[in-house]
Amino acid sequence: MRFALTFILLAVPPVWSASLDLEVQRPRLLMASAVRVAASGAVTASGDIAIVVRPDLPIDTLSFAELRKLLIGDRQFWSSSLRVTLLMRAPVARERDVILKTIYQMSEAQFRQFWISKVFRAEATNGPKVVFSNEMATELVAAIPGAVAFVDAAKVPQGLKVLRIDGRLPGEKGYALR
Amino acid sequence: MHRLTRACAIGLFVFWGRLPAQETSSDQGRLIQELMARIDHLEKRVAELENQPKAVAQGVAPRAVVPVAPPTSAPAPPPQPSMEQMPGMENPQPNIPVETPVPVYPSLRFAGFSDFDFEAADRGFTGPDHHATNSGFTEGQFTLHMTSVLSQKEAFFGEMTLSARNDSGTAPAGSPAGSHLEPGFNAELERSIISYNYNDHLRLSFGRYHTPINYWNIAFHHGQWLQTTVSRPEMVQVGGGFIPVHFVGGLLEGSLPSGPLNLNYSIGVGNGRGEVISRGGDFADINNNRAWLVSIFAKPDHPYRLQVGGAAYRDEITLLGDHNFREWIQSGHIVWAKENPELIAEFANISHQEVGSSVQSNSQAWYVQTAYRLPGAGRLWKPYYRFEHIHVPASDTLFKDAAVKSLAGSVAGIRFDISSFAAFKLEYRYQRRQRDEPRLRGVFAQTSFTF
Repeated sequence: MRFALTFILLAVPPVWSASLDLEVQRPRLLMASAVRVAASGAVTASGDIAIVVRPDLPIDTLSFAELRKLLIGDRQFWSSSLRVTLLMRAPVARERDVILKTIYQMSEAQFRQFWISKVFRAEATNGPKVVFSNEMATELVAAIPGAVAFVDAAKVPQGLKVLRIDGRLPGEKGYALR
Repeated sequence: MHRLTRACAIGLFVFWGRLPAQETSSDQGRLIQELMARIDHLEKRVAELENQPKAVAQGVAPRAVVPVAPPTSAPAPPPQPSMEQMPGMENPQPNIPVETPVPVYPSLRFAGFSDFDFEAADRGFTGPDHHATNSGFTEGQFTLHMTSVLSQKEAFFGEMTLSARNDSGTAPAGSPAGSHLEPGFNAELERSIISYNYNDHLRLSFGRYHTPINYWNIAFHHGQWLQTTVSRPEMVQVGGGFIPVHFVGGLLEGSLPSGPLNLNYSIGVGNGRGEVISRGGDFADINNNRAWLVSIFAKPDHPYRLQVGGAAYRDEITLLGDHNFREWIQSGHIVWAKENPELIAEFANISHQEVGSSVQSNSQAWYVQTAYRLPGAGRLWKPYYRFEHIHVPASDTLFKDAAVKSLAGSVAGIRFDISSFAAFKLEYRYQRRQRDEPRLRGVFAQTSFTF
């Protein structure tokens, strides 16, 4: 079974490495899932993408413009002693698609060129770290001070903080990331 | 099961990364989506099974619980995460799993750019009855850049180039008299910057920079793949001399608290131009007057990716024979970096006045470039056009001696992105200089890429 699955996976050609063709994937996860109650008590819908940080981060809310500054690397410090560490889902994940579409307003290829350019200009030392699942993202957020991840709001575990965007939590009317 | 699915996913991405880039078919995309959906389903099922007793007892949807490490100054190692990286992303070795995100210092990583070119150009008449026409392939610059994070606050950035030139080597013994140079590659340290980042508002650095008084000079550097066009505007041409392309010294940079305007600043002190004005003062300043610069630019929240800025630069230049000139540069730019459309417009005015003379001359250069990434099925294509103009008055003896000349010209072309990391460009270029100078007409093709 393991060999069969591994063979199937390895036999798939390199789709996203060539990937101007895979700009925006259609939402494929749990759009019809039930609304859940998060650890914070807020109502969250599984279609929304939550901004997740450690609870000891002294920030509860960001404006959309501030969130964009974080993501494009214009803001690299939470404070003088705490760096921002961005965690991004790998290509094809819906969470990544939503972030690219709503915040970056870029295709996958433009996003890559953007970060290559940024590092090449010495404006940043590296780009976002790539994570392969919501579980991996939340584990790393819990482990790395200053880390921020973008996960399906229905999969936010207890013990992490969900940031408000323009005063709204996932599931609330007018929430930006969906 | 978690490990199996994660290992499969990682194996998949590693394998993809090792294969050469190729055209994506819709069937392959669908298969990937199905596989990813399957992995997600399996992970979700495992999580449900693991939490089933608790969920049943509480009558709520199962939810994974992540223990939160207590706040510490040093990050705690996470439970066996694996990471992978695309170029430009965190992993210094693309497609190689990283066991831990805990930073290791120093972390040196390499990346590069290169290009190969073809041209068929008429460079103007060289005699009464014949034209000088050039055609053939040329090797572009081979650019290597390295980044090393030394600590949470310190980083080093270096950039080296190898450029094919017909005068870079020393001719071997036995060469014809007078031919003391021969073709070869010229190695150049383009940038070498050590920086200390206190926070977003304050970054102090020292080294050799591309002078931050011009947008093109600091946005595209030597990576031809980064720029839309085949060629750079003449005003920022490496070796061209109009703008001082390189700057050796120190810079203070950062953002200013300015609300939605998002103002950024740079203040620098350095050696300024060398005796050959197209080069920076690498070894030392040629006189006892440092060059200084101040630049400020805004990246407002709206419209997104708009940048507007300006800069001032002051230097004193000493040429061979102890001719001293005072140089003032004022520049401005407006850039909209979205690709539909892309707009870059820059202007610079350079004043020169010989010390002891009352004659002041002003030379200007500007260009406007626009491009548009086609929508839908044509999104791999990006047509572009640029007009540029340089005016150097006869009274500017400094530029006259350095062969910096007036120019007017256009380039029109199209860029085709072969993949996320490589592009083809085809460009028609027309340039005319002064009345009695030959004109350039030609077609230039380039493939440029990053690796």
